[in-house]
Amino acid sequence: MRVTRIKEIRKETERIKTYILEEKVDAIPGQFVMVWIPDVDEKPLSLSYHKGNMGITVLAQGPFTNKLAELRVGDKVGIRGPFGRGFKIVGDSLLLVGGGVGVPPLAALADEAIQNGKKVTAIVGAITKSELLFVDRLENIGVRVLTCTDDGTCGTKGFTTDVLRDILKKEKFDQCYTCGPEIMMLKVLYEAKKKGIPTQISMERYIKCGIGICGHCIVDGTGQRVCKEGPVFRDVDVEKISEFGKYHRDASGTKIYFRNRK
Amino acid sequence: MLKTEISSIKLKTPLILASGILGTAGTSLKRIVTMGGAGAIVTKSLGISPRSGHKSPTIVKEEKGGLISAIGLANPGYENFKDEIEIAKQGGAPVIGSVYGFSFREYIEVAQGLEDYGVAAVELNLSYPNVGKTGAFYGKHKELSFEVVKAVKESVGIPVIAKLTANVSDIVTVAKSCEDAGCDAITAITALEAMKINVDTGRPVLGNKVGGLSGPCIKPIAVRCVYEIAKEVDVPVIGCGGATTGEDAVEFMMAGASAVQIGTGILTRGITIFKKVSKEMEEILKRGGYKNVGEIIGIAH
Repeated sequence: MRVTRIKEIRKETERIKTYILEEKVDAIPGQFVMVWIPDVDEKPLSLSYHKGNMGITVLAQGPFTNKLAELRVGDKVGIRGPFGRGFKIVGDSLLLVGGGVGVPPLAALADEAIQNGKKVTAIVGAITKSELLFVDRLENIGVRVLTCTDDGTCGTKGFTTDVLRDILKKEKFDQCYTCGPEIMMLKVLYEAKKKGIPTQISMERYIKCGIGICGHCIVDGTGQRVCKEGPVFRDVDVEKISEFGKYHRDASGTKIYFRNRK
Repeated sequence: MLKTEISSIKLKTPLILASGILGTAGTSLKRIVTMGGAGAIVTKSLGISPRSGHKSPTIVKEEKGGLISAIGLANPGYENFKDEIEIAKQGGAPVIGSVYGFSFREYIEVAQGLEDYGVAAVELNLSYPNVGKTGAFYGKHKELSFEVVKAVKESVGIPVIAKLTANVSDIVTVAKSCEDAGCDAITAITALEAMKINVDTGRPVLGNKVGGLSGPCIKPIAVRCVYEIAKEVDVPVIGCGGATTGEDAVEFMMAGASAVQIGTGILTRGITIFKKVSKEMEEILKRGGYKNVGEIIGIAH
């Protein structure tokens, strides 16, 4: 456990903030760190900035993230990691599909891909315009961004998968990357596969130890650990994960089934 | 060469996955047999109902060769584990169900349930230090240990193993009590009570503040416990505590263990540690002119 301080806090949306930490990092996009608030809890968070000063981008939605939202510049947090397998850049034309707070690791991937001279298109979705994340950041580095909102306040009215289906009718991509609600990722996987585009998926499970020893984040079908063999999986691996899109396990290990949004 | 038996449990190798490590799902347990090469596997400790466990951090790395953990007996409850045991058994190795309870009645209910689900044996958790009146609450008292082992032994037909803690003044007395109560084997030891404080914040790191220390740094203590227990009891002893290499496993067996559990070692040597350690054990046995691993059990006495 290393302790670092918060260097900068950026308000991204009404409930989402980015925390830039003093500690420097050289990670792979898609990797996560365990963030500790002393006497509160420790949670896994994907890096939204993976080079130089590390950054995490967090939606305040529970006891831990609400506490994080109360922290100020100069406050201390503990860090373990980066852990896990990140995204691998494959080909020249990349398509990113991010829903809600699934966008941060994809933004880190976009940074890396653009620096490597890749062509990047990103579909960014949220419930409403004010919740859209990193649209400016992505456009500023040269990513073509297509937005969509459930209520139609920005971009296409509908889901990322609707935008995806449309663009795949017209254009070809070498690799697709997705992070967001699991049901959305399941559909992204399906649409991309129909067009023969390989997809890399960032999975979320209840991670406790982060180092592959406690077994809490194990997925059925393969017995792999999301914290160690993931969180990023290739489509061919995801197809062997029998619980993908169906259920996950809570803090006790009890199966919780996903509800389909539509 | 490595074939052995604990009571009626037949093992291809004496190396067993310790409880609490990668044991949340059947697919994981199965993988530890098929890919990892474990001779048997012990499930996560199961109770009568789901438990979320302690807040994180649940694990902290001790730079000097170990882990301090306090998961807090997180588990989905034994009834939710029926399918997981079914899947785990597909690995082809014996599945041992780890049982904890907050009363004799709970220990009995879980042990009977797991027997119905087809486990080869139950390992009674009389050792877990971090959750109130269970685990070590029983294992720290020879009378309570006796009563719980006896109660479960009278309620199931499969072998009953007692897992003990070294956080007692005399582990041998507790072991003898368990033997007198009819247990079929003894596992020694569980993680030792420990703590980590972060000096930059002055705060305890673990969500539970205190936890259990496991890994190579506790091995000499575990070997000593196995040695002393094996000297005084007739039932087989299963060594547990920091075994990471073939040499470690052989050392445990020479101290008197009939089998050895591995847990934290996975951190440094991966899931295939069981295959690696088996191979290393074979080399040591060959070097010593032994034909079967049974020949070395307790030779240090």
